[in-house]
Amino acid sequence: MTGLVGRGVARVDGRAKVTGAARYAADHEIPGMLHGHLVLSTVARGEITELDTSAALALPGVVAVLTHRDLPPLRVPSFPYLKGFVPMQDTRVHHSGQPVAHVVAETPEQAREAANLVRVRYRAERPTAHLAHALDEAFLPPLFRDEPNEFVRGDAGAALEAAAVRVEQDYSSPMMHHNPIEPHSSTAVWDGNSLTLYESAQGIVFTRRVVSIAFDLPEANIRIISPYLGGGFGAKGPTWSHTLLNAAVAREVGRPVRVTLTRAQMYTMNGHRAEYRRNLRLGATREGRLTAIVDTSTAQLTRTDHGVYNTSESTLRLYDCPNVHVRQLGVRLDLPSSSYMRSPETTAHFGLETALDELAHELGVDPVELRIRNHASADPHSGEPYSSKHLLDCYRIAARAFGWARRDPRPGSMRDGNVRVGWGMATETHTFSAIQSNVELTVDVDGRATLRAATQEIGTGTYTVITQVAADELGMPLEHVTTLLGDTAYPDAALSAASATVASVIGPVSQAAQDARKAVIALAVADPRSPLHGVPAEDVVAERGYLFARGDRGRRDSYRGALARHGRPVIVTGSRLNSSGHSYGAVFVEVRFDPRLATLRVSRVVTAYDPGRVLNHRTAHGQVIGGVTWGIGFALMEHTMVDPHTARVVNPNLSTYLVPVSADTPSVESFFVDRPDKGSTALGARGFGETPGTGVPAAIGNAIFHATGRRLRDVPFTRDKLL
Amino acid sequence: MRVTIEVNGERRTADDVWPGESLLYVLRERLGLPGAKNACEQGECGSCTVYLDDTPVCACLVAAGQAEGRSVRTVEGLAGGDGLDPVQEAFVATGAVQCGFCTPGLIVAAHELVHRDPGATDAEIREALAGNLCRCTGYEKILDAVRLAAAKKAGERA
Ligand code: FES
Ligand code: FES
Repeated sequence: MTGLVGRGVARVDGRAKVTGAARYAADHEIPGMLHGHLVLSTVARGEITELDTSAALALPGVVAVLTHRDLPPLRVPSFPYLKGFVPMQDTRVHHSGQPVAHVVAETPEQAREAANLVRVRYRAERPTAHLAHALDEAFLPPLFRDEPNEFVRGDAGAALEAAAVRVEQDYSSPMMHHNPIEPHSSTAVWDGNSLTLYESAQGIVFTRRVVSIAFDLPEANIRIISPYLGGGFGAKGPTWSHTLLNAAVAREVGRPVRVTLTRAQMYTMNGHRAEYRRNLRLGATREGRLTAIVDTSTAQLTRTDHGVYNTSESTLRLYDCPNVHVRQLGVRLDLPSSSYMRSPETTAHFGLETALDELAHELGVDPVELRIRNHASADPHSGEPYSSKHLLDCYRIAARAFGWARRDPRPGSMRDGNVRVGWGMATETHTFSAIQSNVELTVDVDGRATLRAATQEIGTGTYTVITQVAADELGMPLEHVTTLLGDTAYPDAALSAASATVASVIGPVSQAAQDARKAVIALAVADPRSPLHGVPAEDVVAERGYLFARGDRGRRDSYRGALARHGRPVIVTGSRLNSSGHSYGAVFVEVRFDPRLATLRVSRVVTAYDPGRVLNHRTAHGQVIGGVTWGIGFALMEHTMVDPHTARVVNPNLSTYLVPVSADTPSVESFFVDRPDKGSTALGARGFGETPGTGVPAAIGNAIFHATGRRLRDVPFTRDKLL
Repeated sequence: MRVTIEVNGERRTADDVWPGESLLYVLRERLGLPGAKNACEQGECGSCTVYLDDTPVCACLVAAGQAEGRSVRTVEGLAGGDGLDPVQEAFVATGAVQCGFCTPGLIVAAHELVHRDPGATDAEIREALAGNLCRCTGYEKILDAVRLAAAKKAGERA
């Protein structure tokens, strides 16, 4: 170990990204490639009655226009294909913006122009687009990925009845879209019965599985390539229909085809955060000990699938409450399938952390103190002890840095001239996954190492952290280690979602690097030509690419020397399954509200986190600022508007679907407890990336209450709600 | 039609350009320069920002014909040769890059800001870059990068 781990080393992929050299899915040059463009349905529910492609086909450059009439049958894959149906297999329309034709032409411009000429007629049926219009149809959906939608602990009904103090409120959040800056792109290249896809995918191994099922093709015949990803936030975790349709079309026309979604198409083609309503009932003692939580949520589902991506984990597990009843209901609407979106628990957590603030106000207890009184020192649902948990430190560190002790709890009491100042806080928490991951590490004859894994760089710093850990365990300089990701030709590794990458991949990386170091040391000490010949292997240390005898640094060999004499590469593999778990933190927010114009600004954010061991402070801090900014977007602006009559998205663009810009964000101060979690095989690091931001919407709402005395329970907190 | 543009110091010609094509399209699809990114095609995100003569523009909003006879500089041509421009260096050094998709556009926008107004205040930097969306970084490190590059520039002058 040479102390690379933990350091904020600069990104190893930084240079490629600042020079424009990094190749994203739509940047690969493929000889002979055609361009596809999707025609999407303009009604939300009904049947296609007529489809006229003649004008499109007559346009110069157009090679084919495929529809349900000529597309070969595809099987409907299961998870992580979430739609429940494959479009263009029949005449049925399940949502607005569903593919009904796929135009292929020599250039993207020709394909798009031709797509505009495809004439489609429908027999339209009246759609239902909003939860409010179908709440009486709410039902408890069946298991999704083996997970139930109802959880019971103790007797929440009776405990609520008996509680000295109760809070009961409704909280709601609208449909939201991920909007990664990179649009989805898929390029299909067939060679006989083998398929290569250049894909914007958060999980290439998962994409391979979905494609294999849809085409009834062995996985060995499919290769997915995705070396760089322009963000995903869940939108590129599942495999979506454009990938399958485009591959089918490429096979039909016998040439490679690329399809790239337009920004507008990204509002119906690749999932979204569903609209939610949540009724929360808290019961507590006068001292503020929670005795009951009843959490009943209702999510938008579709008529073709029933996935609920709500993760009410925080109501179930965050606080030490003996009686909990969680029910995740759904309503079927005529909308596209929802899916995972960064920090899925935010919808649930926003309600819980707001309700706790309401309880604190009701009881006259400080909001931080209320959370400390309900702190769980063992998992409240399973009773299992935590392998490590430092949430209490997070409250203390962030509160002190924020200056929370100076807060006057009376709403409206803190002012700066005409401006009302509000301070609010919330707990942050995220449940991360762990996925069986494998890596291969080669130390080549030049003494340099290459690490290969079929995970991907979504932007969080995977190339960098893997390189850091491998270099550290090998005892090589960073520049001697190359990490190759984003190709299913490499060993299967984790999805870049659910904050699983570091937690899943770092264990096998460090194992492989240790094994490679030992293997090379063994070569050296057994080799009469090595200065280390005969030294016991355990007495050899590796540093900066050199191998030394401990205590006699004059006896020195190197990876380069050992491998050159060996004459062939040393190849090792690493394989691990880590356990999933939780990361925690606390966020404190200051807002400034000007009542004359009803303008609100988030002026200050202070956070502290317990993500286990921090492997790279720079990339970890990057996740904090990014996550907090997402929390600000969730709280103040993000809102996909759906027309209730047509069930169409009315703001499918970035000028009316607002995301935070540089002028909206404050600077974010952040701290890490930085203590290894002994339960994690990833050198004590837990999954972390989606933890920051989970508490931000509630913290902002709580700060607004503190500034104005007005309690908002429906995001986004737009100006009309503050007037 | 034929379009001739000086791109990153080199005279480049594209033939059979359809009048509706954007400069971004010509750069990416015809001239093999995929650095500038296509992310909205309607001037909302800034991912396609390039210099047209000395002005940063959304290349998706510029018709290819409008660039006829003018000079264009993309992220690929910002630094001469193999080196990095100080703005590019600053983006790497401060951690202003995550997924990197907004980066080519932001670097051109930041490059122009640093040269036009190296003394810009934080509020001015935030305002100046507000047309370049980034979904990953939360912008703070991008501000650090601009300040770092500006400081370096001021140092060169002194
Ligand atoms: S692609 Fe040009 S501004 Fe978005
Ligand atoms: S770094 Fe990903 S969009 Fe900016």
